[in-house]
Amino acid sequence: MNAFKRDKKEEEDGGGNPFQNLEKTTVLQEARTFNDTPVNPRKCAHILTKILYLLNQGEQLGTTEATEAFFAMTKLFQSRDVILRRLVYLGIKELSQVAEDVIIVTSSLTKDMTGKEDLYRAAAIRALCTITDGGMLAAIERYMKQAIVDKSPAVSSAALVSSLHLSNVSGDIARRWANEAQEALNSDNVMVQYHALGVLYQARKSDKHAVIKLVAKLIKNIQKSPYATCMLIRMACKLLDETNNENTELLEFIEACLRHKSEMVVYEAAHALVNLSQSGIREIAPAISVLQLFCGSPKAALRFAAVRTLNKVAMTHPAAVTACNLDLENLITDSNRSIATLAITTLLKTGAESSVDR
Amino acid sequence: MEDGPGKLKRRVEPSLYTIKGMVILDNDGHRILAKYYDKNIFPTSKEQKAFEKNLFNKTHRSNTEIIMLDGLTCVYRSNVDLYFYVMGSSYENELILMTVLNCLYDSISQILRRNVEKRAVLDSLDIALLAMDEICDGGIILDADAASVVGRVALRTDDIPLGEQTVAQVLQSAKEQLKWSLLK
Repeated sequence: MNAFKRDKKEEEDGGGNPFQNLEKTTVLQEARTFNDTPVNPRKCAHILTKILYLLNQGEQLGTTEATEAFFAMTKLFQSRDVILRRLVYLGIKELSQVAEDVIIVTSSLTKDMTGKEDLYRAAAIRALCTITDGGMLAAIERYMKQAIVDKSPAVSSAALVSSLHLSNVSGDIARRWANEAQEALNSDNVMVQYHALGVLYQARKSDKHAVIKLVAKLIKNIQKSPYATCMLIRMACKLLDETNNENTELLEFIEACLRHKSEMVVYEAAHALVNLSQSGIREIAPAISVLQLFCGSPKAALRFAAVRTLNKVAMTHPAAVTACNLDLENLITDSNRSIATLAITTLLKTGAESSVDR
Repeated sequence: MEDGPGKLKRRVEPSLYTIKGMVILDNDGHRILAKYYDKNIFPTSKEQKAFEKNLFNKTHRSNTEIIMLDGLTCVYRSNVDLYFYVMGSSYENELILMTVLNCLYDSISQILRRNVEKRAVLDSLDIALLAMDEICDGGIILDADAASVVGRVALRTDDIPLGEQTVAQVLQSAKEQLKWSLLK
């Protein structure tokens, strides 16, 4: 049932990769099939995949070629085939950088983004925002605000992420849509929560007092989303570094994150504590214990993260790291050479003569 | 390999832009699919491919999950004849990168029905492209849950054997069929 059955025969005569010997000009020629009515979804999806593959391999299209392909592709909006439509969105995103007059698809995409099919709506929002310029922004603003507070997480995330990208087009976009982002922050979906926090931070980051208020509110009820919590830890760290005066609430929040159930958050918190400019031995100690525990993890990424962080701490607080020397010695023979190297250089900073002998 | 003491205190601006790139290579180190999200690193295709070659040479014989290369933290996984990589800046939380890598691998694995090999990826290249697009949007993690990603790429439900479909999927496809039979 796949779109590439035809190529299986070709494979028997030749190479193992059906896309191996694609010629740009041939494929672009094939794209003329897009103009046929009615649209043959399987065939067109296959040709479109070839175009996307060529672009992915780094093939460059000239402006005329890209524009021609783009306009041919717009004909495919006639088909209701889900996969074909989704590939068209991808094609729009890929070609919008090179092709001219791409705003021609605005109305088709707006129609899809306000339609019934959730799978279309989310992807259409993302495609639409890649072709949106300053002039068009006002026309889609109402739909975007609605999409941010949509009950479908895919739609809401797509709109939030797109509004971050649109900050390049218009600097104040996040601020204009902050009310909707604030509402999205209450979502049960972990990704929507994360994306909403990103937009809210973008909206307020130039106003330190607004950031302080936002963080103070959020640390009271720890976020469900581990991604959002990591982001919140980073925001708290930035405030702690900037304000210099002791803000015990923020420190307590980060320390509490050391007991979070997600390893990702625990590591983020430990990393944050040891890197805070105001951290003394007292603040570092619990973080070091966590990192010491991670040194024995079966996951290489976790051992790597831990030893890399310890390696950094060893430069400022070598005494605090000494407690981990035994664990670090075990890592010298780690199968991952980066981990072994980091363990050795860390030990050189903290080790006593006794360990050098071993 | 590690950052100098001067950089220790440097804090990166909190941001959702986490992923620098996602790459799938074959067992010769040739690109099957690749996306780079930061125009400041490897701006041209030539630089990207040079990086991939270097990355592959450093990783294909040892399955050790994580490496620092060209100032990027790269996490990776391999299977039969495929290599999956996710890259982030050296300041990035390695475990976040790892969840994205696992999501990429698991999504592709579910799409190919656990038949994770080059031939199968090429046969379902359209869906693989859609899956990568659902995981990361311009460097921001869009979704890191493989089941949700697979749901979002609108895999033709008739392609999944009934046993592996969720109840929701079966209901959805029954609903669709009913709708179409009514429309006809």
